[in-house]
Amino acid sequence: MTKKNSTAPAIAVEDLWQVFGENAASVLRDAREAGDDHAVAETLKGKNLIPAVRAANFEVKSGELFVIMGLSGSGKSTLIRCISRLIEPTAGSVHIDGEDILKASEKRLIDLRRNKLGMVFQHFGLFPHMTVADNVGFPLKMQGAGKAERRKRAFEVLDLVGLTGREDAYPRNLSGGQRQRVGIARSLAVNPDIWFLDEPFSALDPLIRRQLQDEFLNIQATLKKSIVFITHDIQEALKLADRIAIMRDGEVVQIGTPEDIVLRPVDDYVREFTRDVPKGRHACVESVMLDQVPEAMPDDPKLRVGMTLSTALEKCMDLYEPVPVWDAAGNMVGAVHPAELAAALHVDDGTGTDGE
Amino acid sequence: MTALQHEETGPARAFSRGAKAALLVLAVGITCRLLGAQFDWLVGWPDALTVPMTDWVGAAVGWFLSVFKPMARAFSQLLSYPMEWVGAALRSAPWPLVVGAVTAIGWLIGGFRLAALGFIGLGFVVISGYWIEGMNTLALVTVSVPLAVFLGMAIGILAFEVPRLKGAVNGLLDVMQTVPAFAYLTPLIVLFGFGPVVGLIASAIYAAPPMARNVLLGLERVDEEIREAAVMSGGTRRQQLFLIEIPAASQQIMVGFNQCLMAALSMVIIAAVIGGFEDIGWEVLLTMRKAQFGPAFLAGSVIVVFAVVIDRLSAALAEQRVAQSKRVALAIFAVGAAVALWSVLANWNPSGVAMLDGLAETVDTGVGTFTANNGAALDAVKNTSMFYGLLPLRIGLADAVLPFTWGFKWTAAHSMGFFAIVAVISGVLALRGQVTAGAVVAIAALFLEIGVAQAPWPLVVIGAAALGWVSRGWSLVRLVVILLGLILLSGLWERALLSLYLSGASVAACAVVGGALGFLSATSTRVWAVVRPFCDMLQTIPMFVFLIPVLMFFQIGEFSAFLAICMYAVVPMIRYTRQGLISTPEDMIEAATASGAGKWQTMIEVRAPYAAPTILLGLNQTILYAFAMLVIAALIGTTGLGQSIYLALGQADVGLGVTAGAAMAILALVADRLVQGFADKRRKALGL
Repeated sequence: MTKKNSTAPAIAVEDLWQVFGENAASVLRDAREAGDDHAVAETLKGKNLIPAVRAANFEVKSGELFVIMGLSGSGKSTLIRCISRLIEPTAGSVHIDGEDILKASEKRLIDLRRNKLGMVFQHFGLFPHMTVADNVGFPLKMQGAGKAERRKRAFEVLDLVGLTGREDAYPRNLSGGQRQRVGIARSLAVNPDIWFLDEPFSALDPLIRRQLQDEFLNIQATLKKSIVFITHDIQEALKLADRIAIMRDGEVVQIGTPEDIVLRPVDDYVREFTRDVPKGRHACVESVMLDQVPEAMPDDPKLRVGMTLSTALEKCMDLYEPVPVWDAAGNMVGAVHPAELAAALHVDDGTGTDGE
Repeated sequence: MTALQHEETGPARAFSRGAKAALLVLAVGITCRLLGAQFDWLVGWPDALTVPMTDWVGAAVGWFLSVFKPMARAFSQLLSYPMEWVGAALRSAPWPLVVGAVTAIGWLIGGFRLAALGFIGLGFVVISGYWIEGMNTLALVTVSVPLAVFLGMAIGILAFEVPRLKGAVNGLLDVMQTVPAFAYLTPLIVLFGFGPVVGLIASAIYAAPPMARNVLLGLERVDEEIREAAVMSGGTRRQQLFLIEIPAASQQIMVGFNQCLMAALSMVIIAAVIGGFEDIGWEVLLTMRKAQFGPAFLAGSVIVVFAVVIDRLSAALAEQRVAQSKRVALAIFAVGAAVALWSVLANWNPSGVAMLDGLAETVDTGVGTFTANNGAALDAVKNTSMFYGLLPLRIGLADAVLPFTWGFKWTAAHSMGFFAIVAVISGVLALRGQVTAGAVVAIAALFLEIGVAQAPWPLVVIGAAALGWVSRGWSLVRLVVILLGLILLSGLWERALLSLYLSGASVAACAVVGGALGFLSATSTRVWAVVRPFCDMLQTIPMFVFLIPVLMFFQIGEFSAFLAICMYAVVPMIRYTRQGLISTPEDMIEAATASGAGKWQTMIEVRAPYAAPTILLGLNQTILYAFAMLVIAALIGTTGLGQSIYLALGQADVGLGVTAGAAMAILALVADRLVQGFADKRRKALGL
């Protein structure tokens, strides 16, 4: 047993590789002797191996909602399965609360899954032969909890996800949205610290998806889990994430806050994703603050720290001079130029400030 | 293969793989035909080159069996206890109790419909007068099925848990299912001694493979996320398997249970030929031998009733069901028990009921009168088919065309003329670019002139190898040559050819008739409404029963065997043809309709090509069914391997039984692999 290290990040992924194919481990080891990660990937492909995840590096802080976003085939589902060790990574390390889980024994792994990890699946993964309550109580059954206790806890979490009254239904009798509520309830049954969600809302229609996203945010606001959330939907990622990792071809191309992703995409690939995103809603005034506060500012539309670009712009539609930005205590923390506010909103029309 | 894409018109004449293979086979065939008269070894495999394989196998298997014999005898003794208990319980239980129990189970599984089926079915058995015999059969099934289920579950789970074993297990299951039912019996008799326990064990072995296959299939089909959810819940491997994966696969496993039950019943009845147990199969055999068709028909009907009741009840288990009231089931059972009590007090003996003896007599005299009145017509059907169809196929036009039947004697001149016409047809086809078709026509003509049973061995072996090369490649060629080579060496070649001829003739007839029926069923729902119940019925009936009706009208002989095989083997052809033709994706049909295709154009241009792999699979099933039935049909007069297996059984000749059984399995396996190869190729070509 490793000691719980309170300063360690909830999840730390270091130099993680997942290569599919024959003798993947040894070929990868040889290939890495020479060349950078791109060269390694090319070598692997040349040998008919598939580098599904390449040298992934990131940390998830305790209580953080970390979203991994990418198109299908980008390796995001493989990545989450490596972290939860549903599949064995080819190389690298994954620490959960400081413990290297790739070195964990089978027994320790079962123990972790029974107590610490919860997972939600894209197509729900409900057990067809069990009632809703039995599905939710199954992880508790694995813990060895008695029947009455399982049922009590199942009712609690089902109440949390708004499914009271459907405890004795079977999954086949539920709608898609209800099924995923069961999936969420099941993953929360043992009150895990780490919560994996693999495209949990992708199989739902848009209205239900939005509703479940909102409820999910509410649940997270009270439970404060450390979360790895997979999605292929940029809007969903921006809406939910504390930080986002963007993946392409097995490679993490950018990690950053929603604002970073929207306003400071590292390359055209990321920019292409955010092309249709209304930037004003995801970035705050701080992101466009001037380096130097001008001495005289005639206008004061009362911009506050944390205000989104679009709200700020609304307040200074008619202004042409820099205006001050205030914090909650009423101190001036800087200034922004209304013209730059407007420019930031139109970043992908070719008038952007990031030098296309 | 790039050659496939080449145009066949260029001066370079890059022949396709098929054309090359067909031309090679044609060359071999012509050589054999021309030189066969001078060189005997080109036609029949020289005796000097055979090895006494049957003796060796007999000695080896005999030694092997003798080692296990004490153990086996002990096991057999052990098994005989539960069998006697179950048998005694079923025999001595008052029949209203059994009828009530089955009706109650029927209610629980499928409500009124299945309760009625159970009641009427068992009621029929009661009044047929075959109650005791029926219960004896049921006792065998009751004991053998749990064995088969256990064995099948164990094999299926093992193959799933240890992927390295999967290939080997699948191979073993293939062999277990292609080895003809009778062939199991001989070594088992040596091992376990004569008696009903052999039937029991044979039936457990025979019924285990479908169970194992479905368990494996079901486990493999469990949704990946369900599996992962079980892992992430912290289940140990055993918990994952038994709490999640097996229950999640339960529908597929129940399909396996249904097939397992039907196979067990079928085998229990076949095993009746060993005798020693007063069961219903024995009754059929006995009455058939005495040509008492009425009783045979009645006893056969009892078997069919058992099969239908068992099949429908267990098939319903694999479907999603609404829960039925347990109280009603209990009430039904209580009524049965009350009547049982009353019947015991009243001393009513079910075997004394026999209300249908009159029916049996009527059938008997009816068949007698019918055959007497229509004897000429029946004979005409039989003789026409024999003299103008089966016989020429078997011994060739050259030998079959006689003044007695055809009105003239086939001479060398006729052969010349025949081949000249064929050469013209083939030549025209070849010149129009269809080299393969031309060569195939010529090869078929060669076979017809020589006769399948007298075909030169190089032609058969190289022909099969060529098919293997075209359908899959060198790996299949190797397999085909080695397997057929074994038959050649064993000295069973001539018998194998006889079997090949009869099953080939049946398969050809099934392909034509079944294909046509399947096609009509696909085009018209009304036709399907008529054909479907027949298919369901024919698939439920145990193989053995098919012998009764053909025997009634056509007596013992090859034609009767041919008919019985066709009846049994035609169903998959009908089903798969229809299935293939109707399962064309809707958008493809819409695209064809939007392009202005008519109904028939859609059928020929879109549906048929799309259905080809499915239809080939149906043909494959038909071939396997035909081989399986061929051995059963040996009871009513076929020659070839089936007869050898049957003879070996009578003499407890392990060597002959096992070798002939293996040869039969080889023929079936080779046919199976060849057709599968073509089906895979078509599927790949369609991108499925």
